[in-house]
Amino acid sequence: MERAQASVVSPIWWRTLPDRSDFVRDRLVPIFRYLRRNRLMIIGLSAFAALGLFVGISYLFYSQVDLLGEEQGVNGLVRAASVQANQRPSWNPWSGYPLGTDVQGRDIYAAVVVGIPLSLRIGVIAAAIGVGVGMVLAFVAAYVGGVVDAVIRTVVDSLIPIPGLLVLVLVATSLNPGQGLTVDQLAFVIAVLAWPGPARVIRSQVLVIRERGYVEMARMSGTSPLGIIFKEMMPNLAPYALASFVAATSGSILASIGVESLGLGPLDSPTLGSMIYWNIFTSSVLLGLWYWLLPPIIVLIVLFVGLFMISAGLDEVANPRLRRRV
Amino acid sequence: MPWKYIAGRLTMFVVTIWMASTIVFFLPRLSGQNPLAERIYQEAQQGGYQDPDVAERVRVFEAKYGFDKPLWEQYVKFVVDVVQFDLGRSIFQWPKSVNEILAEKIMWTLVMGLLTLVLAFFIGSAMGALLEWRRNNWGLMVAMAPILAISAVPFFIFGLVLQLIVFNIDREFPLVYGFKQGVIGWPDWSDWEFILSVVKHAIMPALSITLVSLGGWAMGMRGMMVTTKGEDYMVQAEAKGLPDRVMLTKYAIRNSLLPQVTGLTLALGLIVSGVVLVEIVFGYPGVGGQLLQAVRSNDYPTTQGIVFVLAFGTAAATLALDLLYPLLDPRIKSAGE
Repeated sequence: MERAQASVVSPIWWRTLPDRSDFVRDRLVPIFRYLRRNRLMIIGLSAFAALGLFVGISYLFYSQVDLLGEEQGVNGLVRAASVQANQRPSWNPWSGYPLGTDVQGRDIYAAVVVGIPLSLRIGVIAAAIGVGVGMVLAFVAAYVGGVVDAVIRTVVDSLIPIPGLLVLVLVATSLNPGQGLTVDQLAFVIAVLAWPGPARVIRSQVLVIRERGYVEMARMSGTSPLGIIFKEMMPNLAPYALASFVAATSGSILASIGVESLGLGPLDSPTLGSMIYWNIFTSSVLLGLWYWLLPPIIVLIVLFVGLFMISAGLDEVANPRLRRRV
Repeated sequence: MPWKYIAGRLTMFVVTIWMASTIVFFLPRLSGQNPLAERIYQEAQQGGYQDPDVAERVRVFEAKYGFDKPLWEQYVKFVVDVVQFDLGRSIFQWPKSVNEILAEKIMWTLVMGLLTLVLAFFIGSAMGALLEWRRNNWGLMVAMAPILAISAVPFFIFGLVLQLIVFNIDREFPLVYGFKQGVIGWPDWSDWEFILSVVKHAIMPALSITLVSLGGWAMGMRGMMVTTKGEDYMVQAEAKGLPDRVMLTKYAIRNSLLPQVTGLTLALGLIVSGVVLVEIVFGYPGVGGQLLQAVRSNDYPTTQGIVFVLAFGTAAATLALDLLYPLLDPRIKSAGE
């Protein structure tokens, strides 16, 4: 009511400019107000913020003196040259290594700090490709219909029962036999199987949204098909696309950890998965090196639970029926 | 019975099998390696004596494996053989056939997978049902929170945590392998001591799979219960004055459990992948360890065979569930007619 009056009073040229206070009041404030109720989302986002802070602060401030007597940041500490060859695996926070050193004498803290963004990077690249391809296929299937739709649907549905990890193992071994993959190559390998899930979810949503009144309205007023897709449908698909992106990120990190734990990933890059591989490889549990196994696992648990909560929170945004009653 | 539905599912099954066999055939060949020749050269060099006819031997073996024929001919032969479950011979463990290798291992995987799946499905669903039914029971929610939280963690990562915990509590508890190693005459299924050892060794991997999967089923069931609770027949049951327990078991759970089966078909592929990894972490004698060994030694026929059989099993189980589902749930049957 107030707002309607305000816009009547204001001069006409004002209305073409975005009003900052209006934007804050109409967009941001409701989002924050809603977030306060969506507890899952809040917990998930804060888990991520905590990990981000941990990595950021460590990158800026953490350093150790390496073998050659040089001061090294986290990136330098995980390089092979920094290995303290004469040091046995040990855990003694007062020795200067807060999480101890691994069997190669490497600083575990630095390895975890470098590993988090590397593993996330694999997940995000693979998920972005997967959701992108899935979305294009979903729109093509829903719009062209007929044989194309049937083919895409059959391919998507028949790929779903194939155990993904096994196919990824085949791809990873045949791409670069013997040497392992780089971090980005691994991301592309995982993207190979990241698209059927998003394609399935988004296609069914496109079919639903296409029949909505406002899309019909836009069509009747002569909006071009692309205009309808980008201006009318995309904004309403966004929560679904975002939810499947988060789910795909989690799934891709899961897949990457699986492939890496088999020793098929980038073994020389300190991703969380290759840390776990070396733990399994040296059977660190039986050696009593719990302080080497626990850090990557704890980080992964925080990562997976955080992503899961964000995706459940986004589900709530997308399906208002799930929303908590106030 | 809706024939169109059955025909659609069968087509899907055939396409899945065809895609699996195609993927399995072409992917290893992309690497451009010749594992057969490598293996023979390796063998020929052993013992310091250089066999002068190595090249000839490679040729003979390539003919035996059919590697000398054009690619499309190999492909057609592979697909035809594979759908008849003739998976060829292993390169690494020659002259064992892949079928023989699988026969030793597949039961371990199958029993472990099915057992944990059934346990998790029913216990998890019961938990989810209770969670929604006793909505404001804080004790229940606190007890369930950790189970819901770990459901986002991969099976084998949780398995590593379990290993760590149990190892520090009881050093004698079996953490790896499928039965006690180093006993002469084992595996011997008529020996009670052996069976006891198998059961004891299965506890850790089974626990790590079951505990992690509980949360997913509980969440799914809770969602279904929300829908079911709003149905008219629930209102009627309450109006009739039925006891709480009857309403929960005979009305709510019965109607919510069936749609969970749909979730089962979607989860099967993930579960198989997860079980394979758990087997590797726990040194369990199923196909997981065998797959890893085959991959490491470039044993294509074995790798292909294992991946194909697992994909086939998953697809067959999905098909079976899809076909059984309308029989279990009369609501779907009448909707299809």
